[in-house]
Amino acid sequence: MSNSLSRHLAWLFMSALLLICIAPAQSTEGGVGMVLGERIPEGFDPETGKRIISNERCLTCHGDEAVKTDVRDDGRKVKIFVHSKQIQASVHGEQECTSCHATIDRVPHREAPQVIVGCIECHKETWDKHKDDPDGKHERLKVVNEQADNFMQSIHAQPSKQDQSRTNATCYDCHEAHNIGELGSIQRKEKRLKNPEVCGRCHEKQLADYRTSDHGKAVLEKGDSKSAVCSDCHTTHAIDAPETDKAKLAITKNCGDCHKDAQRTYFASYHGQVHRLGYTNTAKCHDCHGSHKIKGPKDPTSEIHANNRLENCRVCHKEANENFLTFWPHGDANDGEKYPGLWTFKIFMQILIFSVMAFFWVHVVLWLYREVKDRMEDKGFIEDLDHPDVVYFRRFPAVWRWIHGLFAIATMTLILTGTTLLFSHTGWAKAVVVFLGGTEMEGIIHRTAAVIWLGIFLAHLFIAVGNIWRKRDTFKWFGSTSMLPNMKDMRDLRDMFKWFLGRGPRPEFSQWTYWQKFDYWAPFWGATIIGTSGLLLFVPEATAIILPGWMFNIATLVHAEEALLAAIFLNSVHFFNVHFRPERFPMSTTIFTGKIPIEEFKHDHRLEYERLVESGELEKHLVRRPSRRADLAASFITTVLIMTGLALLSLVLIGLMTSPS
Amino acid sequence: MGAENMNRNETMSKKVRNLLLAMLVQVPAVVLADPTGQALAFTCAGCHGTDGSSVGPSSPSIAAMDPEVFIDAMQAYKRDERNSTIMNRIAKGYRDEQIKGMAWYFAKQKMAPAPQAFDPKLAEAGAKLHEKYCEKCHEKGGRPGDAGTLAGQWMPYLNFTMEDFMSGHRDYPRKMKRKVDAAVEAGGDEALRALLHYYASKQ
Repeated sequence: MSNSLSRHLAWLFMSALLLICIAPAQSTEGGVGMVLGERIPEGFDPETGKRIISNERCLTCHGDEAVKTDVRDDGRKVKIFVHSKQIQASVHGEQECTSCHATIDRVPHREAPQVIVGCIECHKETWDKHKDDPDGKHERLKVVNEQADNFMQSIHAQPSKQDQSRTNATCYDCHEAHNIGELGSIQRKEKRLKNPEVCGRCHEKQLADYRTSDHGKAVLEKGDSKSAVCSDCHTTHAIDAPETDKAKLAITKNCGDCHKDAQRTYFASYHGQVHRLGYTNTAKCHDCHGSHKIKGPKDPTSEIHANNRLENCRVCHKEANENFLTFWPHGDANDGEKYPGLWTFKIFMQILIFSVMAFFWVHVVLWLYREVKDRMEDKGFIEDLDHPDVVYFRRFPAVWRWIHGLFAIATMTLILTGTTLLFSHTGWAKAVVVFLGGTEMEGIIHRTAAVIWLGIFLAHLFIAVGNIWRKRDTFKWFGSTSMLPNMKDMRDLRDMFKWFLGRGPRPEFSQWTYWQKFDYWAPFWGATIIGTSGLLLFVPEATAIILPGWMFNIATLVHAEEALLAAIFLNSVHFFNVHFRPERFPMSTTIFTGKIPIEEFKHDHRLEYERLVESGELEKHLVRRPSRRADLAASFITTVLIMTGLALLSLVLIGLMTSPS
Repeated sequence: MGAENMNRNETMSKKVRNLLLAMLVQVPAVVLADPTGQALAFTCAGCHGTDGSSVGPSSPSIAAMDPEVFIDAMQAYKRDERNSTIMNRIAKGYRDEQIKGMAWYFAKQKMAPAPQAFDPKLAEAGAKLHEKYCEKCHEKGGRPGDAGTLAGQWMPYLNFTMEDFMSGHRDYPRKMKRKVDAAVEAGGDEALRALLHYYASKQ
């Protein structure tokens, strides 16, 4: 009992002792403002313990106009003068000298002080503190901080190669530290004209080159502050080494801030499209025009002077010949005066696109209206559930089914790879091109698909002509199974519109309807236009051996316009006619199974059905319904292709709707 | 068995008691470890006068002295980096915190200028020299500041100090040497005396 008591007592005593020991130590801790019971004297900041040095104290020496320099121990002369009135008029007029020169703690300085100034922290803290102020006085600090962030990521904030302990440049190397003006102030206006000189302090050669340029002459000789200074092209803070993609992209973009038309037409060209996708392996502004020594085309020393231009082309197109000179790098299809040829092609293609699409979309909408209305009235072709389709009609032999399938895949591949260039302004195009592995890989895929596409087209022609040749004795050019358009097609078209509007019965068709004939013949036109222009663009150096450079402009234009027409038509009108109209919805798999239910055949091709019944030939075209697996496979393939087609259509429409021009 | 138990308990209690006594002896030492800055400063009065205003012509007044100048001086003495008579020994007895405490205490004391005779004419000449060559660092006519205290300081002390600088016994700041040389060149042999009389005149 007494044992435990004494132990308790011992603990109590030790605790008390500890308290006594700690208490005085704690009492001396009054922050930096207290030492051994003494409060910090006047002239020192109780928060930080640092000496308070007034601006007047600094200016005693640094504001003395009679002694503007000092001599260091090593004999070096340093400028110590600071224009006090200038500071007061600057944005930092109310700051203490030591707010920035934070390492200065003794006056007179015990050692020759280094200029150690960090701008970023203070601007960040001040913005954090004032960003919600209702007066908005500190609004500009938002930009300052954004630019500070840009600077920190820039080449200037990287360690110098000569001395890794310092950065390549810092804030006050460019900003006149004691004379920073507010937005719109005189300081800022003067600063723009001074910009080349400021950058030129380090970048001497570039300044010398710039002096000879049109920009340089305007700025430095004529004082024209509207002409380009360094920061207009290189940006002010997000400056990167010019070899980097980031810098190349930024500089090209920045040229367009002034040269808007030139940029618009550049982005419409193949060079510009690739560039806008984020790739720098095509010609950019400075590749042709030069950079610091940039001059107009009439100056014989200019890179774009007629005598010097071909050399620029040959940097990339090693085999480029004289014909390259007639290429219009900024050819503008909207400018009928300057580029009448290009303009004419554009107008023609656009009339074609608008008229074809307008006609068929009206056709689609009316057809939809009629079938929906018929359905509501229990008319039209309705599946008889009591007698499910068992007998099918053989509509396509295997070869056409394969050809259609491969043709569809090749076409969709071409649409995807082609429209990424055409709609290079969109986010999806940039994502697709990254997914495909870059613009070069995309070019390879596009050309491969084009070869397959053209191969299929020619193979089909070969087979078709072969078929006709074999049946040449009995072949009827305008027979009931003929693909050739005839007068009945015109009548059918007229009667369809009548039916759409409820002014007549649905016309009866033979083996091929007029819309099927259109779908068949349209690629002949398309293959000619897209194929020819595509071949011209396939190997530009070879094309230029025989054709002038402006053919590339025309070929690029019509290739794109015709492709656009095909992409929109196939993925909307063709899909509706074959798959989406209510009688067929959600799809027809005939092109993959080769078989059509006899009732459907009867409904859509009654004349041919009746002819076959009459001639007793029907029997040999009848087949059993496809197996369940064949049916599933065909549905699967059709679904995939339809979904892909609709996705492509969406991408194209997004591209068209967001198109900057 | 029971007695043995008792015995052990008693030994235990004695041990505890002894331990507690030993600790108690430590208590005053721990509690009195840190006298205040003011208390420490009392020990300086013998030479530097009550509250730092010196009455002996060779000892400087340290009242109102800039605390960082005070600390610099004490640390330099401590490290034998500054010419001294006895201050190097005295300084070594204090920890950094104690030196700071004294520095802050003296900084807050009002300095009573040394009551000494001066030549007003010389003082006037000295004023002009001071204004031109010294004022930028020894601002406000040499009042206590980051460059030390000149105004109201004992002339003999200032004289010894200047001798130390000029004879190389004390680190002569480069800029100060430049300015003193310039003042001597402008004011001749009397320049330094004139300056001392000027500072003495600040009463």
